[in-house]
Amino acid sequence: MDDIHNVLFTKEKDIYVISIDQKEYRVKDYLFQGCHLSFEMGESRISMYIAQDADRNYISYNGECYIIERARAAKAGRRGAAAHHASSVSSPMPGLLVKLPIAIGARVSAGQTLAIVEAMKMQNELRASRDGIVAKINFKEGDQIDAFQPIVELEPQKK
Amino acid sequence: MFKRILIANRGEIAIRVARACREIGISPVGVYSSVDRNSFHLQFMDRVFWIGDSPPQASYLNIEGIIDAAKKAKAEAIHPGYGFLAENSKFAEACEDNGIVFVGPDAKALALVGDKVASRNTVQKVGVPIIPGMQVVDTDIGVFKELASKVGYPVIVKASMGGGGKGMRIVRNESELEASVAAGQREAKSAFGDETVYLEKYIQRPRHIEFQVLRDHHGNTIHLFERECSIQRRHQKIIEETPSVALDDELRHRMGEAAKKVIEVAEYTNAGTVEFLLDENRSFYFLEVNARVQVEHPITEMVTGVDLVRKQINIAAGHRLGLCQDAVKQRGHAIEARIYAEDPENSFLPSPGKIRFLNEPSGPGIRVDSGIYQGWNVPPHYDPILSKLVIWSEDRETAIRRMSGALKDYVILGIMTNLGYLKRIMDNEKFLNGDYHTHFIDDNEKALRLSKGDLIQVLAGIALVSADAENTGVRIPGDTRTEYTSTPWQELGDWKICGRQVNRQR
Repeated sequence: MDDIHNVLFTKEKDIYVISIDQKEYRVKDYLFQGCHLSFEMGESRISMYIAQDADRNYISYNGECYIIERARAAKAGRRGAAAHHASSVSSPMPGLLVKLPIAIGARVSAGQTLAIVEAMKMQNELRASRDGIVAKINFKEGDQIDAFQPIVELEPQKK
Repeated sequence: MFKRILIANRGEIAIRVARACREIGISPVGVYSSVDRNSFHLQFMDRVFWIGDSPPQASYLNIEGIIDAAKKAKAEAIHPGYGFLAENSKFAEACEDNGIVFVGPDAKALALVGDKVASRNTVQKVGVPIIPGMQVVDTDIGVFKELASKVGYPVIVKASMGGGGKGMRIVRNESELEASVAAGQREAKSAFGDETVYLEKYIQRPRHIEFQVLRDHHGNTIHLFERECSIQRRHQKIIEETPSVALDDELRHRMGEAAKKVIEVAEYTNAGTVEFLLDENRSFYFLEVNARVQVEHPITEMVTGVDLVRKQINIAAGHRLGLCQDAVKQRGHAIEARIYAEDPENSFLPSPGKIRFLNEPSGPGIRVDSGIYQGWNVPPHYDPILSKLVIWSEDRETAIRRMSGALKDYVILGIMTNLGYLKRIMDNEKFLNGDYHTHFIDDNEKALRLSKGDLIQVLAGIALVSADAENTGVRIPGDTRTEYTSTPWQELGDWKICGRQVNRQR
């Protein structure tokens, strides 16, 4: 469901021209102090909050929060994920790996629970998206894991 | 009065209790787990004690460690807050055994209200209505049929040992009953190892209404009116308000009196909350007693002007209530929004992590009970509640608008929160009209999604902070200009708005 947008940038004297999905927007008088960002766009002055870390931007605008990443890195990840898609299972949230009810070599079927991750009193079951054989398990029960790290890797069932 | 109180909790509620202690001249003593050794609540205590490792079982649920800390601190009383050990009768007993006052009901009353079946039977004896259904379990389908037609369809078949919706079947008419009971039994057997199911009336579109009650050790009982808590996700409240639009003075009076009866028959002391379901015909049914200070207690404080935590401490010290029923009035309207570290666009999955920027709202009628600070790492071990935003205004409509504005001003960056989602609820027409019940979140899933409107501004902001404005850039394919009145285009590439499900049609 991620939204992807292409962005180009140029400067004409004191006007910044930003092309978003091939449509140009003209912006001027941009100020970025602390986490406060403001600029003139069209008839009005836009203000928002931005915090950045290595590859993520957190923006709050009009009471809504957005997390925005460079899609290049994300794409590689996604392509990786696509290649992995059927073959690995990861958690969308960081947390404690509370249960790994499978072993290497086990035959699993689509929908079967491969791992349970817990954070903030909520347990999230991670399920196999297709049939396969457990090829690799990268963690053990009790490990603290980050989001989007492959936990269990599957290989296709041999005929 | 006590000299020192140990607060056996963390986060915003530990801070709330510490403030109340100071206001009556009591020294607050705190506890913390390993991961909490730099947490916000420590700043509000006169002394703090380490009680164990980060997992709750090792620390905030560690009865022995907490009693030890209280003894070391020479605390005469322990306030448990909410959650953790707040409704644990063994903990209340351990306090009693060690000569420490537990700020809450005694162990006996705690045990009674903690037992759902026992408490339902007890309150029914004094004429407080409960959801009509089976009193004793039976397997004879004839008994099910007779009872179902007596209470009226729809009915619900539930597993005795159940929870989480497993083994539950809603039955609309008699032709479905036999098959549903059999299916419920099968599902209960495989999920809980026990095939016992029972039947009760299914309340469609109920509202969750609870009454705040106080009772001292001298037999004085008052209620402090209702809180409506029907806006829930995953059976957890996220918005509460008082007064409820669903009650008139007559119904309010009857429910308040019923709540007092429940507390009196249970011989319950201190602050408690009596929960009811209210159906579409304005019939109410007792659900359970919450034997603690509730997360949503501030809205009652805002409309009644009574400090509930101070009252809890005074009652525990043996003082009289000092307040009669007629003296308690509702003034204006209050709403609470719970700020959670979770992602509403992704099934409300928790989102622990570092808070990189924090801006809290302020202004008339705005109260923030917060447990966080900028730069703090929200740990994954505990409940995702970060803070509570509480609004008071003269009437409901301005209170909702004030809440919407305060939510807009409230900025937390670095983790996902439900701030934007809560604002969308405030701006929702059905909510504004008071037209809601406990299925509101599920029924309005689409209407509560993020609109796509602001993405251009957000992407422009990203472009400005990411582009190097002074750089001449690299000529990109397709840029055929030979003379530049501007810098060449910089390709900032593709940007991904993470995990957003956006209403495309808006």
